[in-house]
Amino acid sequence: ETPKPPAAAAVCGGGGSDPVPAGASPWWAPQPPAPHTLRDMAGVAGGGGGGGGGNDFQWCFSQVKGAIDEDVAEADIISTVEFNYSGDLLATGDKGGRVVIFQREQENKSRPHSRGEYNVYSTFQSHEPEFDYLKSLEIEEKINKIRWLPQQNAAHFLLSTNDKTIKLWKISERDKRAEGYNLKDEDGRLRDPFRITALRVPILKPMDLMVEASPRRIFANAHTYHINSISVNSDHETYLSADDLRINLWHLEITDRSFNIVDIKPANMEELTEVITAAEFHPHHCNVFVYSSSKGTIRLCDMRSSALCDRHSKFFEEPEDPSSRSFFSEIISSISDVKFSHSGRYMMTRDYLSVKVWDLNMENRPVETYQVHEYLRSKLCSLYENDCIFDKFECCWNGSDSAIMTGSYNNFFRLFDRNTRRDITLEASRESSKPRAILKPRKVCTGGKRKKDEISVDSLDFNKKILHTAWHPTDNIIAVAATNNLYIFQDKIN
Amino acid sequence: MLVARLRFMLGRGLKRKLSDYEENMAGLSSAFDSSRNLPYSLKRQLVLNMCLTKLQTYKMVVEPNLHRSVLIANTVRQIQEEMRQESSQQPVNVCNGIAPNPLSYPGIDSSGISLHLPSGSNQQESNGCNSWSAEGPIENSLLMVSDDDMSSAISSILKDLDFMEDISPPTSLVPAGDDEPKSPESTCLKLEDDRQDLKGAECVFGSFEISNSTSYLKDLAIDDIFEDIDTSMYDSDFCVPPLMTPRPPSSATEETLKTFPSCNSSSANNIPICRTDLSELDHIMEILVGS
Repeated sequence: ETPKPPAAAAVCGGGGSDPVPAGASPWWAPQPPAPHTLRDMAGVAGGGGGGGGGNDFQWCFSQVKGAIDEDVAEADIISTVEFNYSGDLLATGDKGGRVVIFQREQENKSRPHSRGEYNVYSTFQSHEPEFDYLKSLEIEEKINKIRWLPQQNAAHFLLSTNDKTIKLWKISERDKRAEGYNLKDEDGRLRDPFRITALRVPILKPMDLMVEASPRRIFANAHTYHINSISVNSDHETYLSADDLRINLWHLEITDRSFNIVDIKPANMEELTEVITAAEFHPHHCNVFVYSSSKGTIRLCDMRSSALCDRHSKFFEEPEDPSSRSFFSEIISSISDVKFSHSGRYMMTRDYLSVKVWDLNMENRPVETYQVHEYLRSKLCSLYENDCIFDKFECCWNGSDSAIMTGSYNNFFRLFDRNTRRDITLEASRESSKPRAILKPRKVCTGGKRKKDEISVDSLDFNKKILHTAWHPTDNIIAVAATNNLYIFQDKIN
Repeated sequence: MLVARLRFMLGRGLKRKLSDYEENMAGLSSAFDSSRNLPYSLKRQLVLNMCLTKLQTYKMVVEPNLHRSVLIANTVRQIQEEMRQESSQQPVNVCNGIAPNPLSYPGIDSSGISLHLPSGSNQQESNGCNSWSAEGPIENSLLMVSDDDMSSAISSILKDLDFMEDISPPTSLVPAGDDEPKSPESTCLKLEDDRQDLKGAECVFGSFEISNSTSYLKDLAIDDIFEDIDTSMYDSDFCVPPLMTPRPPSSATEETLKTFPSCNSSSANNIPICRTDLSELDHIMEILVGS
């Protein structure tokens, strides 16, 4: 199914969209839909499709992973969540440098209720704390991002990164063991050659499944500043890593060398006014990537134009609304996440108060803007004082690009349906964690009389923030990281 | 040096004061958010104070968050630009409730910076302006915060230093592990530029409480900046007093040079070196002037 053409800019109150420039390079003409969208979404997800208004999800609690303790160990705080390309594996990284991978159970007729449950598949320590002796700094082991590679053989590969070093991990299964070696016995001890009277062929015997994770590549020493993003290219051979001031291009096979493709560091650091906040490769065009900045702008670069992509091909910025100007305008405009749609035609950015969908053909404003928690606009000074204003929320698309999700405070998260313009606020909490219980929509009361079941802005818990969320690539399954717990919700029709 | 001062102050058990400050700031921030009557200039001042405090805190960390530092520095620049434009348009009017010139803010001496800002009840005396007392409790509490809290005062100091500098950004951004050779000094760069300005601010440090213990100075990065500061308050146990009294010029220099090695220790952060350097300068000045 082809994605619907974008609606006129909704909240921004804009007019028609700009005409596509004549003679534009072919890649930014509308693309045929990506394989994801060709799939019959209605069949798989039961109502999650791109057509019509039948997008009423009914989200149910499925699982929660993590300790119930009120006392949260710092190391257990989840710092990244990512589904793999098939959605069968779900990886989380935490502040302690560990990666935990969950695998979706196969459908089992004898246990229909455990269909689609995610259980621990592999756990390993990806990064350790390091000490940079030269600069006398400690390098945190916190996993900033995990990105899966497309699966090419039986093993699974993912990239995980902390502030300074990216690692390529191979996760492979072993469920057979060879027995009957000639030169050594079962313990591994060498057999006495004189005792060997006959030759035998070792046979493979089944064993309990063992999942092994091994680091295959370590990409280090390429970043002076803190890495905030990694993105695997559609060529499946290269990937980019971005820090505050630079973006590097790597080949997955080569660890001793990377190419610097963006460098915004000024000659005099005192002139620095803008940093890179996120970067991503285009899902289909391996020469195109975008990066967002702390000033609320997005630059799209084409690597074919020059080796160093300091000059952008496209520059996306929404003019500021003078009526909503405040001392904190720049801070809240800083983009915390940028994600291309699966189709490659749109991209989504998250700033402090809103999510914006941009058409790659239109640079001067987004085509859609969704308010995540507008009620916080009148609290900006307090949020600045307690540093919450610097929280970096992520956002994600569903498989068909018809819906988007992002997190908020008080363990609330928000889902927006792009077609029906409906939105819903849900909560990730233990209280609403009965199996297959439908989640009740939540509402924040902004002033005046508080209705029953509403929560007032002042009662929100700003320590309970949902920064990391992920949506299954094809089904309506979402993973929400709430501090040290991972919640998995499924659409009832699933 | 301001960094060193702040570190010392915190180490000396003023953390309790800082947490009081934080509580006050939280109260003020919610006042900012909820009050419609707060004058714009006061809001701006509050935001500026918060920004400068944060930047100051970041300076103390080995690896400050570059993203946040840039955002905050931009906010400060923006506010300062606004203030500059206003002050260039209007004459300084101390009695104006919306006093555009920050130097005319109550509690901030235009001649220098005094830490002992008047308490809420005395503010009228300090600038003889009635309009401030009419502002109400929020504005008073802002003064009370400034009155007792060194962070806010340091913020004022930085702000005033910036105005004296007139051009440079409010703070040098300490890059995380910058690879340029000159960059490790970028924090010091600003301090060195401010050396002249610190002369105007030196009375500030006079009012800082200095304990008798000499161990704190080991933490400070002793550099040339201390030359400008009157350090007679430092009570040192080391026997260098002879250098301070006037002497016949010819033998004095030799004695000075001879005495130094004995008092010298290998550590550059040691007090004797500090004192002897200063004494040496004083002495050399006497010699030069005397001859």
